[in-house]
Amino acid sequence: MMPQAGAHTGESRAALPALAAGLALLGIGLLFAMVIIAALPAFLDHGAGSVFTWSWRPYRGEFGILAMLSGSVILSVSALLLAWPLALALCFWIITSPRSPFLVPVRGCLRLMTAVPTVVYGFAAVFLITPLVRAGLGGSGFCWLAAALVLTLLVLPTMALIMEAGLAPRLSALCPGGLAVGLDRMELLWFFVLPLSRKTLLAAALLGLGRAFGDTLVPLMLAGNAPQIPAGPGDSLRTLTAHMALVTANEVGGAAYNSLFAAGALLLAVTALTSLMLRRIQAALDTGAEQQ
Amino acid sequence: MNAVSLENVSVSFFDRPILQAVNALFPAGRISVLVGRSGSGKTTLLRTVNRLNEEFPGCRTSGTITIDCGGGPCNIYARPNEGGLSLPELRRRVGMLFQTPNCFPVSVYRNIAMPLALTAGVNANDIPDKAREALAAVGLWEELKDRLDMPAERLSGGQQQRLCLARLLALNPSILLLDEPTASLDVHAARQIEDLLLDLAPRYTVIMVSHGLRQARHMADQILICEKGRLTGIIEDPARLDEEHLAERIYASDATDADASTRV
Repeated sequence: MMPQAGAHTGESRAALPALAAGLALLGIGLLFAMVIIAALPAFLDHGAGSVFTWSWRPYRGEFGILAMLSGSVILSVSALLLAWPLALALCFWIITSPRSPFLVPVRGCLRLMTAVPTVVYGFAAVFLITPLVRAGLGGSGFCWLAAALVLTLLVLPTMALIMEAGLAPRLSALCPGGLAVGLDRMELLWFFVLPLSRKTLLAAALLGLGRAFGDTLVPLMLAGNAPQIPAGPGDSLRTLTAHMALVTANEVGGAAYNSLFAAGALLLAVTALTSLMLRRIQAALDTGAEQQ
Repeated sequence: MNAVSLENVSVSFFDRPILQAVNALFPAGRISVLVGRSGSGKTTLLRTVNRLNEEFPGCRTSGTITIDCGGGPCNIYARPNEGGLSLPELRRRVGMLFQTPNCFPVSVYRNIAMPLALTAGVNANDIPDKAREALAAVGLWEELKDRLDMPAERLSGGQQQRLCLARLLALNPSILLLDEPTASLDVHAARQIEDLLLDLAPRYTVIMVSHGLRQARHMADQILICEKGRLTGIIEDPARLDEEHLAERIYASDATDADASTRV
């Protein structure tokens, strides 16, 4: 009887994780299906109420979300363009200054920053950044620039840490030997590590883009939320995420509410796409394909 | 003439002493071999000469280290504007070969060409000739002249170690630090490197760490014995002793730590 009992426990032990994984997959599948099915009517409506127009005037029956889609793209790409080079510079400093007394506090600060909730960034920026932007560019200070600066700060630490995790082991593999030839860490990094690290740098960029695109509170609190294409950094914009938060807060049911499913489906598509690309790159990194 | 002299040199990492008040002279154009147990400070001693210890966190070095590359003695800690050398220049003149080959992850040719351009500031037109000379000096030119653009990682261990040696020689050093340069190689490749080093030795001052008594006896003009962070003995012209006597001498110096240190 004993071996049978043992085998039985073994089976149920194997079955539990399988069940959990199945449930999780089913949940995700249902989520996708629900969002797509709910969004279909909005996607299929090509009349005045179509979501693929530039005008959001719900009181006139116009539910265009293209301005919000471009707002998301403009804001996340501009934050990425600011954050990526800064993250790279920070990563360079961290891995080329092993003896700096500031190394430990800076890395500790970066790790802490990744754990700070975004609402804290948004709230602090309302008092710290918007007055500066208002003084510099005029207007209310709640605009593309203010949101982009804070999003930059939000994605910077994660990107710098991802870059560090990718580049530091490659540099230390070259280290005593390369230094003994008379090259310094910066030269080793620049000439021998960076050319082999394109995928790490791309992975950091995609991760930053995904976080910036998906963030809700920073654009909601700082970008001004006018559903328009901004003409300059001092202009207000509205992202898909902020749009969804605003509309769900004010409406229940109705055409405006239904258009949100279209916004949600787009958001899901963009984040799923970046996440899939990231996973492919990560898999390539794990198998060492970057070396080829 | 002494190419390297250490006076009262102590090194510690995070306040843990690794070398204590070491005095040593390394004659120019000769091979000096450091022997001793693991952890006795041999590698740290070697790395004081090209200031490589300082690249690691928590390192503290005190004492005076002087090198003479033919132009008179030069304190390696003096600033360039006080007659000293910059760090890249010091490391160009004092080349180092490690236990495991550490080629750069680029082609065979670029392994030699890049340090030449970056550290030695050699004119781009002169680099191909210098690279060929260096590869020929380590016997790799004939083997690799048609495959200079292949990745250095694809070479065998022995070839990689010879490539690393070629990379050093191309920079035209006068002092070579060798940290168990044959430890990771098979017997055949190890012999090849030993013979190569013996051929090259008269033109360079060689300071080498070795674990093998046979190798130390075969190559050394003088053997320095390290024990617990101190130099405890010196054996001139070890080839006159057979391996058994040599082992006895090295072993004996373990016991008479204190008296022997005064002789170095």
